[in-house]
Amino acid sequence: MAHPESLSPMAQMFEEFDLTTEHAQHIFGINFEPLNHVLKQLPIPFDISVNKAVFIMWLSAFLSFMLIFYAGRGRGLVASGLRNAMEALFQFVKFDIVDTNLGHEGQKWLPFIGGLFFFILFNNLLGLIPAGFSPGSNINVTASLAILVLFAILIAGMKKQGVIGYWLHLAPGGLPKWIYIILYPIEVISLLAKPFSLAVRLFANLLAGHIVIFALLAMIILFGIYVAPLSLAFGVIMYAFEIFVAFIQAYIFAILSSVYIGASIHPEH
Amino acid sequence: MEGINLAHLGSGLAIGIGALGPGIGVGVLVGKALEGMARQPEATGTLRTTMFIGVAFAEAIALYSFVIAILLFTK
Repeated sequence: MAHPESLSPMAQMFEEFDLTTEHAQHIFGINFEPLNHVLKQLPIPFDISVNKAVFIMWLSAFLSFMLIFYAGRGRGLVASGLRNAMEALFQFVKFDIVDTNLGHEGQKWLPFIGGLFFFILFNNLLGLIPAGFSPGSNINVTASLAILVLFAILIAGMKKQGVIGYWLHLAPGGLPKWIYIILYPIEVISLLAKPFSLAVRLFANLLAGHIVIFALLAMIILFGIYVAPLSLAFGVIMYAFEIFVAFIQAYIFAILSSVYIGASIHPEH
Repeated sequence: MEGINLAHLGSGLAIGIGALGPGIGVGVLVGKALEGMARQPEATGTLRTTMFIGVAFAEAIALYSFVIAILLFTK
């Protein structure tokens, strides 16, 4: 970390702009300080105190559960209102994401993929509310989600082919023996690269969008009030694009997870 | 001071050069997908899904260079 005086004005503002919200004590008017005090005393090696990102994640988990729960309670042939909206989204997840990639085993993986989709979607959308925070723009959150997907890939493959069979069939068969010395490490690396790219993709997409909006608005402070109309107009355009990105990234994360799990269930040899 | 300036220059170069290849890749991808959709409108759904997966892979490469750029910028 460089000394503040040696940074450019933009980099200084970037430093002051609290990306991690570590110091947030009052989150939307709720004081989490007593709870954090208790959580910091726990005999575990991590700090699990509540900050804004954790709160937004609780909120999005709660929202995605309650919306589907209430929408699922509706009865009758004709859906309307909330049930109609959630039914459209859920049908999209079931038919376009899960069933096309996982086939008839899609039903088993639908809760996992659907949970990922709705959790990431609500995370992204709640991060777009002013004073909100996008938990996906923190690498720890996306890495945890991607590690879940890695476990899902491994469990799906091991259930299908057995624990030893899965690792034996990681590299395609029928090749000369010496090639496996090179091929097997490559296959293991490609297995680990899948969750890595999932995590970095979601993280960098959200962070990039937020930084672009921040940079556009920071130009008002850097260059004076006269650029305000232009930078506000571009900020609004980027904001609209961010709403699109929120949907597309949830879709990409869900569909890539189901493609990876599907490739693990139906190996191509 | 010198090091900071060089880091900022490197951050700009990282994202600028790193976005070149994925930009070309996404252009080719979407163009080819559109071509396919125009020829076979009934395959639009499948083509769009596959196109999004491909775009996500191409985009990830640009995002790696973006992460490097951010690391250099906040150095």
